[in-house]
Amino acid sequence: MPQNEAIKGIGLDEYKYGFVTEEKPVFKAKKGLSEDIVRQISAHKEEPEWMLEFRLKALEIFYSKPLPDWGGDVASLDLDEIYYYLKPQDHMERSWDDVPDEIKTTFERLGIPEAERKILAGVGAQFESEMVYHSLKEEWTEQGIIFESIEDGLKLYPELFREHFATIVPPQDNKYAALNSAVWSGGSFVYIPKGVKVDIPLQAYFRVNSEQMGQFERTLIIVEDEAQAHYIEGCTAPSYTTDSFHSGVIEIIVKPGARFRYTTIQNWSHNMYNLVTQRAMVHENANMEWVDGNLGSKLTMKYPSCYLVGEGAHGEILSIAYASDGQHQDTGGKVVHAAPRTTSQIVSKSISRGTGRSSYRGLCKVYEGAVGSKSNVECDALLLDETSRTDTYPYIEIDENLSSIGHEASVSKVGEEQLFYLMSRGLSMEEAMTMVVRGFIEPIAKELPLEYAIELNRLEMEGSVG
Amino acid sequence: MAEGTVTSDMSTDTTEPAVDSIARGLATYVRAVNEPSLLSQLRREGWKTFVETPMPTRKSEEWRYTDLTNFEPESFSPVTCEGERVKSISDLPAPVRAALASDRERAGVLARHNGCVEHLRLDETLQAKGVIYSPLLEAAEEHPEILEKYLFQSDVAPMEQKLWGLHAAVLSGGYLLYVPAGVQIERPVHTFRYLDEQGGVLSTHSLIIAEAGSSVTCIDEYVSPDMEQESLSLNGVEIFGSEGATVSYLALQQYGRGVKHFSMQHSNTGKDSTLNGFNVTLGADLARADVTSHLEGEGARSEMLALWFGDRDQHFDHHTLQHHEAPSAHSDLLYKGALTASSNSVFRGLIKVAEGAQLTDAYQTNRNLLLSKDASAVALPNLEIGADDVRCSHGATVGQVDDVMLFYLMSRGLDREQAERLLVFGFFDEVLGRVPGEGVRSRIRGSIEAKIQG
Repeated sequence: MPQNEAIKGIGLDEYKYGFVTEEKPVFKAKKGLSEDIVRQISAHKEEPEWMLEFRLKALEIFYSKPLPDWGGDVASLDLDEIYYYLKPQDHMERSWDDVPDEIKTTFERLGIPEAERKILAGVGAQFESEMVYHSLKEEWTEQGIIFESIEDGLKLYPELFREHFATIVPPQDNKYAALNSAVWSGGSFVYIPKGVKVDIPLQAYFRVNSEQMGQFERTLIIVEDEAQAHYIEGCTAPSYTTDSFHSGVIEIIVKPGARFRYTTIQNWSHNMYNLVTQRAMVHENANMEWVDGNLGSKLTMKYPSCYLVGEGAHGEILSIAYASDGQHQDTGGKVVHAAPRTTSQIVSKSISRGTGRSSYRGLCKVYEGAVGSKSNVECDALLLDETSRTDTYPYIEIDENLSSIGHEASVSKVGEEQLFYLMSRGLSMEEAMTMVVRGFIEPIAKELPLEYAIELNRLEMEGSVG
Repeated sequence: MAEGTVTSDMSTDTTEPAVDSIARGLATYVRAVNEPSLLSQLRREGWKTFVETPMPTRKSEEWRYTDLTNFEPESFSPVTCEGERVKSISDLPAPVRAALASDRERAGVLARHNGCVEHLRLDETLQAKGVIYSPLLEAAEEHPEILEKYLFQSDVAPMEQKLWGLHAAVLSGGYLLYVPAGVQIERPVHTFRYLDEQGGVLSTHSLIIAEAGSSVTCIDEYVSPDMEQESLSLNGVEIFGSEGATVSYLALQQYGRGVKHFSMQHSNTGKDSTLNGFNVTLGADLARADVTSHLEGEGARSEMLALWFGDRDQHFDHHTLQHHEAPSAHSDLLYKGALTASSNSVFRGLIKVAEGAQLTDAYQTNRNLLLSKDASAVALPNLEIGADDVRCSHGATVGQVDDVMLFYLMSRGLDREQAERLLVFGFFDEVLGRVPGEGVRSRIRGSIEAKIQG
């Protein structure tokens, strides 16, 4: 089939970040999970007693929960073969010049310095398990905005931290949330004060480097009444032969009248297990948007969710998944309507290529009393090869009759007619295919800030056109 | 004449005390000792499956919304046969007579009352053409070669096996409908099951075989009064359509209160053959239907329709599978349900496209109408697509009666109830209009009307 040849030419899955930086960790916990490891992590971070207790309790919960019997295949993930903590440096770096050369090289390849030069406001980049590079525009500090590593959040704002931490995703929530709660390390702590509107996105670039390094980032974001902000997280990790593991927990509280958007572009290397819990609690008339891009990893299981708990709250999830050979993207979104006149929308687009499999898994739940709630879910899947696979598993649970809920999904292959038309206009098969695929993901790409939209195109399509 | 027969050694297969009592129940049920070994063998195998398979729990995705925790199959005793086969329709139970009176255009009628077949008729011209319409026990004696080839031969999913096994083990009877190649049966073949034995389990099987190029319409109807003591209905359907055959199948379930109904339907459509399947669920306290369409031959077509109307605390659970095993097959599913009072419904549908099943065309739509505050609906329309050159889509909605339409009708002088009723029928019309036969159609309308009025 000549079409398949053309797809190969697109180079969608050539992993360009597969380089390795020699690591010089200050402290590296030994492989595997145990109570000792948890105590060590907590001690190294000089945490208060309550956090150690929280971690140990979470570890117990992790041990007591069975593995999920749905979703992707986690059978080959050996949790004893993973380093649960690795601290590369002693202290936080404030300026670029202080960042060690190897790390700098890595970041340079990822385009971070450009981002810095463009004064893209707060760039919190995560190397290994800690924030090593973190800068924040002065005016933001003046406005009372907090953008710290999660560790510093706990140290500097203990009360604010404790009030909100683990209230959105408790350790009991699921097995991997329990694991994260026990061994979390790194991530961001963000606080946007009442009425403050941040125009430029807050960005954190993640990078997992050491082989078999588990990364358990934990992010807590509090958006006060009437505030507005946008947070961007992008991930990329080098290629290794043995499997790596990433299990993050992201908690977001969007208070009355606030607006918040969280954007993730995940491009982990193809041996990474990426099992993430992302959840936002959305209060009266507040607005939460998840923009979720999943391009990398071996298996991703991630379902960003909006709990609409205040009247008039709105939740939106835009999800794009790309699964190529050997990849399984089990992604989607959850919206829970627990208050009257709440509205939500999920738009999911997936592309499966080669032996790749993409699954949409979603939940739309309307509790009794959530009168006048409206939700709409749309899923489109594009299959590029005979061996590609796609699944759709939406759960729709409605306990309130005064609501209106819809779900639609379609599956198709790249249309012969579309290709024919473009080729009749002088495009090669390869160019035409690229154009069709780009058109398919366009609704999501256009929601990204320019540099990330470009990255999305570059990561995916490099080598595809001329 | 009693059909059901059980060999008395069945209880030796098991040591589990929970199932021991049902085995004893079965042993007492044994009356006709001369059941062909073909059937007793199937019972034994079914019994073994039943005993060895754990009862599904809500932890499994297939049974997540239907709780079988307090379901004790051993508390039911197999239905018995008090009467005998009667020649005249006027001797049949009143509800069956009433149903038969609604429509006289039938090619064949079989009426079962608990454990026995009380009435059986098939047009003589069809008999002459080689059509077989026969109670299962008689078919086992007269046409063992057909039963051996088809009976209990469908590919049953693991989560269905517990009840499928029980269904075979306690089989009360059923029928074989065999349509030879090229024979067209114009009028429907109509089978009634009337259950009024308190605490009984009625387990019936419909085996429909349409040979190449033939066509037939079958109606299976389930009726009972309200039961004081809970009764159980287990029902298996197997449809085999050979090349170019067309089968229309309608299951109409109108049990009274106090009945649990489990229906497991498997259609196997061959090359260029067509199945039009239809389920109407109105009765019983708990009704679960597992409807599987195996599209086995290239160019096979399957239309799957259903409607349900729930009231009081009824729980309806419909599970469907459109299994595209061959290329160029077409399936189209439309399931519509309305719910009032504190009833609730589950729809879980899966379109599964096997690797290599290119040029598949598959659609799946589920629409739910919630008419009361306490009603609730769950919809799980799933897709698993393993081939790339396909057209698949699905949609599900849950909503209420449209305010604007309601307002319009009321502005024309209708009261709220009348307007709502019109809109409910408008909602159902899309599927109701495709029910074969005006008589059946108007009876379904009447039943829905009665349910709306409470």
